[in-house]
Amino acid sequence: MFKTFLTKRPFLFKFRLFLGLILLVFILVFLYLKIVPFGQITYERVWPNVTRSGKGFILGFTPAERVDLNGTYPKLSGDPVYFSLFTPRTFDHVKMTITYRDNLSTATPVIEAGVLKDKIARNYDLSPVSNKILDYLGARWTKIRNGQTVFLQVTKNYDTLSDFLSAFKDNKLKDCPNGSATCVAVYNYPLNFDYPAPVARDTALILDKPLRGGHQFYVYVPVATLDLSFSFVDMNRDKEQDPIAVNLYQDNKLVDSKFLGDNNLNPTSGITEQKNISLGENNLKPGVYKVEVKISDDVVISRIESSVNKLSFINKIWPVSTPGNLTLYTDASYLLTKAFTPASLQTINFAGQDFKLDEPYSQFKFVADTANPLKAVKFKKDDIILENNGVFAWSPESLFNPTLPKVDSQFVVSSQIKYIVADYQAPLAEKDWQAATLDFDLKDSYRENGKYSFMISIPGLRTETGQGNLEIKEIKMELSGRGLLDKIRELIKSR
Amino acid sequence: MSQSRLIIREIFYFLSLLLALFIILEIIWPNIILAYFNLNWLLVLWLISGLSLLIKKH
Repeated sequence: MFKTFLTKRPFLFKFRLFLGLILLVFILVFLYLKIVPFGQITYERVWPNVTRSGKGFILGFTPAERVDLNGTYPKLSGDPVYFSLFTPRTFDHVKMTITYRDNLSTATPVIEAGVLKDKIARNYDLSPVSNKILDYLGARWTKIRNGQTVFLQVTKNYDTLSDFLSAFKDNKLKDCPNGSATCVAVYNYPLNFDYPAPVARDTALILDKPLRGGHQFYVYVPVATLDLSFSFVDMNRDKEQDPIAVNLYQDNKLVDSKFLGDNNLNPTSGITEQKNISLGENNLKPGVYKVEVKISDDVVISRIESSVNKLSFINKIWPVSTPGNLTLYTDASYLLTKAFTPASLQTINFAGQDFKLDEPYSQFKFVADTANPLKAVKFKKDDIILENNGVFAWSPESLFNPTLPKVDSQFVVSSQIKYIVADYQAPLAEKDWQAATLDFDLKDSYRENGKYSFMISIPGLRTETGQGNLEIKEIKMELSGRGLLDKIRELIKSR
Repeated sequence: MSQSRLIIREIFYFLSLLLALFIILEIIWPNIILAYFNLNWLLVLWLISGLSLLIKKH
């Protein structure tokens, strides 16, 4: 019947019908790609690709000075490097496969990649791509694999991971006379332990040395009460809004949260605004709590009042606007420092040794030549960022570190460490190349203009020092999320 | 009108419509077309068909 219909029509009609159908197919294909009705799609970028027409979905890498794009494959030579993933809709989960060639030196044994969770705090959910320290120890120590988790022990004292975990919980680990926590290291594995209550009587603490940008710190709460008061100064130097969030966690579970929005009435004016947040809890279980202060670099924490004095900043501290001699204390054996202005260049005394910070905006690593667990950092000029894998405090009494040593790029294999637990899968070797697959939850990841932000981190890698590079051959993103049917079902349910 | 000119004219109309549609889709949902396909190629095809139509006419 359709054939008879067509034969009676002129050529122009048939030709227009044909072109119309092509147009319809184009529209349907692009709509399908926009909606992704079955909730699953894969985007990939392969280098070199001369036939690529569109912009693609995997965009980057930035900043340009840390990436060499002149060869066949992009070479990452600095840390960190960012790229973004454009998606036409939101997804719940991504399986990222990265194929790379490792031309790195032994000074950079760890490669990680992650997705941006929080824009203000610039918090990335990092997962391991490769950890050569674990690969090295895995080939020499007794290794037990349990799914994604790998358990390493110097001497085979435990047959299973659960036996080890049970002994660890009871603080009865073999070959650990000073307590279980002293001989265990972790990597990407949440192994909690009961930090012993400090002996000293607790007193209130006032920190009036301003700190710039987001900070995290541990507090030890000996009784059920915790009072924290924060004073902030919004410098209004940039045009962005500067909301303030303070979160209290115990064992990575959110206990309390306070939020202060920003009407942004004076952007870029330089007119400062005072803001305050208080957090009070009367029904806490005694123990270690983590406080996260989520603010942009345009905001300064001008004062912290705490009802407890065990208060240690985690990994990073950025003192500003404090004239005179400053002394911080840390438990880590190294210090990464960066002067934020040329006026901050100076000689820093770390664990009794003088180190020169003689270049602004560049990160310097200072290593302490002492076994003393408590190290003082003395400096005269503020506006420097101090980082390490330990904690910082303004007094030795406040310093405490309730975490286990981490097998990161700064990890040193010592005779003290007898066990390592890690959530880690070594990359698969494919001739010259290696491929690592990582899983990320995208539900609470930050997405702006249809893009998720990703980071590849090689701690310690600096373009200027020429410590090698990481060549990228392929990045594949297998996305999954709700399908069209799920969405329709949800809409029906909500009505 | 010769059949070849008719075909070129129809292709020109088709490409014009396709180009307009892609631009509208791109305005509504940014990157939906450009991620897959560089519109410059379509623009070149559209120009070729338009020029061919003008040449045929004269």
